[in-house]
Amino acid sequence: MNTKYKTSPHQYWNPYFGGFLLGIIIIFTFYLTGRGLGASGAIKSSVVTVVENVAPKHAESNSYYSQFITDDKSPMNTWLVYEALGILIGAFISGSISGRIKWRVQHSPKITAKRRLIFALIGGILFGLGAQIARGCTSGAALSGMAVLSTGGFLTMLSIFGSAYAFAYFFRKNWI
Amino acid sequence: MQEELFTSGRNIPNIDPSLQIWHWPISLYLFLGGLAAGILFFAALFYLMGKEKQYPALKKAAVIPPIALSVGLLALVYDLTHPLFTWQLYTTFRIESPMSWGAWVLLITTPLSFLWLFSFYRSTFPKWESKLKLFKKFKFLEKFEKFLITNRTYMAYALIPLSIILGVYTGILLSAFNARPLWNNAILGPLFLTSGLSTGAAAIILLSRNREERHLFSKIDLGLIIVEIALIIHMIMGYYAGSQVQLEAMDLLVGGEFTLMFFGFVILLGLLVPAILEVIELLGFKVPVAVPAALVIIGGLLFRFIMVEAGQLTRYLY
Amino acid sequence: MGPLIPGGYIPLEWDSIIAIFIGIAFGFVLEASGFSSSRKLAGVFYGYDFAVLKVFFTAAAVSVIGIYYMDYLGYLDISKLYVHPTYLWGAIIGGIIMGAGFVTGGFCPGTSLCAVAIGKLDAWIYVFGIMVGVFIFSELFNLFEPIYDGYNFGNITLIDSFGWNPYWVIFIFTIIAVLAFGIADLVRKKIKSVFY
Repeated sequence: MNTKYKTSPHQYWNPYFGGFLLGIIIIFTFYLTGRGLGASGAIKSSVVTVVENVAPKHAESNSYYSQFITDDKSPMNTWLVYEALGILIGAFISGSISGRIKWRVQHSPKITAKRRLIFALIGGILFGLGAQIARGCTSGAALSGMAVLSTGGFLTMLSIFGSAYAFAYFFRKNWI
Repeated sequence: MQEELFTSGRNIPNIDPSLQIWHWPISLYLFLGGLAAGILFFAALFYLMGKEKQYPALKKAAVIPPIALSVGLLALVYDLTHPLFTWQLYTTFRIESPMSWGAWVLLITTPLSFLWLFSFYRSTFPKWESKLKLFKKFKFLEKFEKFLITNRTYMAYALIPLSIILGVYTGILLSAFNARPLWNNAILGPLFLTSGLSTGAAAIILLSRNREERHLFSKIDLGLIIVEIALIIHMIMGYYAGSQVQLEAMDLLVGGEFTLMFFGFVILLGLLVPAILEVIELLGFKVPVAVPAALVIIGGLLFRFIMVEAGQLTRYLY
Repeated sequence: MGPLIPGGYIPLEWDSIIAIFIGIAFGFVLEASGFSSSRKLAGVFYGYDFAVLKVFFTAAAVSVIGIYYMDYLGYLDISKLYVHPTYLWGAIIGGIIMGAGFVTGGFCPGTSLCAVAIGKLDAWIYVFGIMVGVFIFSELFNLFEPIYDGYNFGNITLIDSFGWNPYWVIFIFTIIAVLAFGIADLVRKKIKSVFY
């Protein structure tokens, strides 16, 4: 295979250009479907599906899962799940153009891969918990909320960034 | 089974009132038949072109057709109401019946695919042989293998038309069914053949460890995907220009129950996305080609399921 | 006219297919902007890379201007759009927990999906962590329910809450965003650059 296109794996788009396109996508999403983007909803749907299949009775008696279970269709059959599927494909296409596809654990040279994975797990648990309490994550609540000037969206955005800056000092070893 | 004469279009046993009598084994069988046809076609073609040394995955892929055809046949027989009467198909040959063509082609192709695999077995899978030690246990195999290897060219010549007929037959089997408007068009045969060839090429890509070979087969696959998309557009335009029943049949795919599966999963994820990824790969970027290949195979499988399921919901009489 | 699907201009069956298309575009832009790298994302909190801030606020400004402009031109009826509901303490407490998760894990759900697609193993673990988090939340739902369902102000916007003129809000928001970009660039020059 010839490598005509020598792209560096660290070559990213200009952030303003990326942000502009992202804004256009959000406008387009609202124009077509009347709702915003999201990501954590798809993960929630997969959790509901797993629990429903492993312990159907438990899922029905739990007042949170049961909101998402209907008789005629699977909890995976939602808008956000299809959108998340698209995210995976889009990222894969972009990653293959710039040669970033590789199995690896990305971490600061000062910490071990194991430490990075443990912190990734803790971060994921916290984010999953928080995203349920706030009814959306950075894309669903903050970004799409801000696009229609939702008060909740702005509040969520401010709390996410505020608390991240507040906690940043304690985790500096992991990143810098 | 009793023969009956149908004088009316209504209340035909097993056709009109009972709309869904073909289940998943039929779709699975159509997919596996197409996949086997695709692999056998490429294997035989490249053998005749004298390029089998350049492309080792073709020999490895020879494992798939015998397994696929056996599993497919088992699925087919399992779906029959009277499996024990299967042999009766072979008491007759009707030139106008696709079932008859299919049954006979399968009867010839399945054993031929086993022989084809066996002729490559010792040279391609030395590890298996050193474990199984078949040639030490059964002396006559040596002679048999020699005989097969000298006659490989003839097998390849036979396999090319047979695999094409097999691939077309998986579609014609449906399109000959004139009580189902979704199936009853002449495009389905070539469409299923193209789809079968494309899944075959994808399976070869998955097995390949050789960059040049993957490159060639992703080119072939890309061409087949383009043909397939053209045929699907043709098919939908055919419905669109058709009568009311065909419009209603089209509605199942374009704006109904199967729209998401058909446009979302078959056309977008099973054809367009792999095509884009293969174009990117051919332009010289580094793409793990296993991903588009796997998408093509899944798309092909879903396509058979959708056509079989959706076709049975359509009928002429309401 | 719009929004098109709730307005019935596009058949409902195409909703999910459009979702896949939008997802592809979303994932592509996120990945191409570098959001699949946790170290790039975390940079915003330590001042060595402000890509998150720039992308996020540019996107928010462009989309809010675009939506209100399309409403002004009559292509889009803003009252028919889904507005993220405001549950006061849910948004704040959830946001604080998410912020802690962001700086520990280095991803948010959308960006972690991008990183999953290009084979970052830490992102796989992170997504698994999100699933565990959702599971914990659902199992302890009775505990969280007062926050989750309480303090509900409905689907309100800043205009409803404060009675501001939307055009001024957007204008000021854009000014703040541009100022933030300028400050970010100043900060970045002062901080020792980190290679990642």
